[in-house]
Amino acid sequence: MPSRLLRLSVLLVLLAAALLPGCGSSSGPKSADAPLRFWNGFTGPDGKTMERMVRNFERETGIRVDMQIIPWATYYDKVVLTLAFSDAPDVFICHANQMPMFAKYGKLHSLNALMSGPQGLPDSDFMELPWKAVHYGGQQLGLPLDAHPLGLYYNRTMFEKAGIVDGHGQAKPPTTWDEFLADARKLTLRDTGGKVTQWGFTFTNLRSNWYTFLRQFGGNVLSADQKRCELTSPQSLAASERMHDLIDKYRVSPKPEGFDAWEGFRKGQVAMIMEGIYMLSGLEEQKGLRYGGAPVPLFGTQRAAWGGSHVLVMPVNEPPERVDKVWRFMKYLSDHSLEWARGGQTPIRKSLIASPVFRTMPIQRAFATQVPYLSYEPLTVVGNEIAPFFDAAVQSMLIDVRTVPQAMKRANRQIQTVLNRS
Amino acid sequence: MAAPAVALERKRKAPGMKPGRFRDVLECYLFLVPYLLLFSVFVIGPVTYGFYISLHDYHVLSTHRPFVGFANYAGALHDDLFLKSLINTAYFAVMVVPLGNLISLLLALGICKEGRLTTFFRSAFYLPVVISVAVVAVLWQWLYSTQWGLINYYLDAGAEALRQLPLLGAHIPAYTPIPWLSSPRFAMASIALLSMWWGAGGNMIVYLAGLQAIPETYYEAATLDGANSWQRFWSVTWPQLRPTLLFCLVLSVIGAFQVFGQVMVLTRGGPDFSTYTMVLYLYLTGFSLYKMGYACAVAYLLFLVVLVFTLLQFRLLSFKEVD
Repeated sequence: MPSRLLRLSVLLVLLAAALLPGCGSSSGPKSADAPLRFWNGFTGPDGKTMERMVRNFERETGIRVDMQIIPWATYYDKVVLTLAFSDAPDVFICHANQMPMFAKYGKLHSLNALMSGPQGLPDSDFMELPWKAVHYGGQQLGLPLDAHPLGLYYNRTMFEKAGIVDGHGQAKPPTTWDEFLADARKLTLRDTGGKVTQWGFTFTNLRSNWYTFLRQFGGNVLSADQKRCELTSPQSLAASERMHDLIDKYRVSPKPEGFDAWEGFRKGQVAMIMEGIYMLSGLEEQKGLRYGGAPVPLFGTQRAAWGGSHVLVMPVNEPPERVDKVWRFMKYLSDHSLEWARGGQTPIRKSLIASPVFRTMPIQRAFATQVPYLSYEPLTVVGNEIAPFFDAAVQSMLIDVRTVPQAMKRANRQIQTVLNRS
Repeated sequence: MAAPAVALERKRKAPGMKPGRFRDVLECYLFLVPYLLLFSVFVIGPVTYGFYISLHDYHVLSTHRPFVGFANYAGALHDDLFLKSLINTAYFAVMVVPLGNLISLLLALGICKEGRLTTFFRSAFYLPVVISVAVVAVLWQWLYSTQWGLINYYLDAGAEALRQLPLLGAHIPAYTPIPWLSSPRFAMASIALLSMWWGAGGNMIVYLAGLQAIPETYYEAATLDGANSWQRFWSVTWPQLRPTLLFCLVLSVIGAFQVFGQVMVLTRGGPDFSTYTMVLYLYLTGFSLYKMGYACAVAYLLFLVVLVFTLLQFRLLSFKEVD
């Protein structure tokens, strides 16, 4: 018996010993020579473009980079946890509208000294809005890599068939509300039974589409001081009503109920959609589709287009001996962001926008004209918390679960509660 | 688990326990140690720590995490979205638990007797259970699609066939596809339907085991007494099946209150928060807003809700009557 007990005890000790190492931190020290760890969420064709740029950087500088692509859906979970506990990458991509949270908790390395240092970059070369979006409390916390505005994609074949062409017989995208509505009406086709066979326009991503309408009418989600929700303002209501009218009053767009608008556009059932520039590569793959890209028409009273930016950021506790290397990498990607743009982004360095190479990318150029009035989603710490409320409001008004004022009033109350709490 | 209980029983009965007995008891516990160790490290530890976190204002990125008492609990109870998620989850449970168990029981009754195709049907009905929730969700996403979904396709074909009928046909309007997942009216019911399809086989196996455990002699006796098949079911099968029923109902309620994967993949709580469930709420609070203290408080509230329902079920469907 004692020998059996002894054997059992030994087994248990071994078991415990096997378990314990798993409890500790798995992070190794970041030595000066270890490869740079770079995280992003570019799971699509953009990932291949980024991979190519990273390899070029390695070849040109001899600095090794270990790039990890994590799907956006779980990307920030991983980033946040590593920033909070251990093992953060040396450099990672952060969307401009996610930066306020990292900034609030002081998790990002200031780039002020690097920007103005001998290897720095001129501030003046950056477009104003993406540049402003990376500054918090006087500190530059990231290097914006691109801007990805919403734009109008249109089916050239359908436009030409409907006779919506310019003097050269080329499809002519609308630029104003009146033109847009007239075109959408012409492009919505019905069979003899009244069933729609082709839609003039369809809402794809409701948030980006609505936000564009909202900002074009001069409305906003939050007041300038971010203390009040302004969804019940006359501007907000007018913008939302106009969006709703496309479905209910003018009948040129289907309700966003199960209709896959993006597939509809790709398969030639929809003439116009508004999507981000990053969807471009998805269209390039579609055989037989003749499409064009243009700035968003002016639906309201002022120019605006929803947009975002991918920003290169460095964790605050990056070891000093690695900071320069990380900066070289960031700067390289920024300097080569024309290559990045080719995969469906717009550069934000003025020198690159003016370069002859960029002229060979007509759709990127058309979308890039909107960068001066790009509308970021509210840059606030509670961004993730309030977004589901306006998302639900937009959806419920478009599928007629609530009227526009009801939907906006409800979201306004919900968002105001969040603002009051924080 | 029985061994130490028996040993303890003996210990209580014989205060002057011999050294040999003590070693027996010790040995029993030693056999349990590997499990207890894992249980402590991966269940008791996190659960206790979770409670500790729930009493703090704990943002993952913050280094300052002050004690706030039960403020997170109070916050959740005053949050519209939490209450909405509670109602949604209860609605889901009300749909899935009774109907799902009825389907499982009927399936089990159907395949209880050995026949030529029994093995085939048992496997076929059980098969969905082994598929992961993500696969099930994607599969049903295709079935539910308004553009190319099979369900809408057949409904459309059916409506079209009716329209061809001589007199009646003229009055039937053209079919408009049902937005199964994108309308607040249908979304939760659609999620419930796929959940029942997914889970029916699991409970079916348990019911089957319960049915097969009923001694054949009971049925023989009942037949001799002149009972018809309904009376045999009502007076023999049903009471004998009550412990199984309790087991399945309790597990179904717990499962229903923890519904997550389906809504996460298919609707993320939409449209208009109509499929926003409690676990989704706690997941998004924890991993989209990173408020772990609040999320842990929600987890404990969910635990309390499930506990109350489980106790209620035990009370209503007590074993004692069966004995």
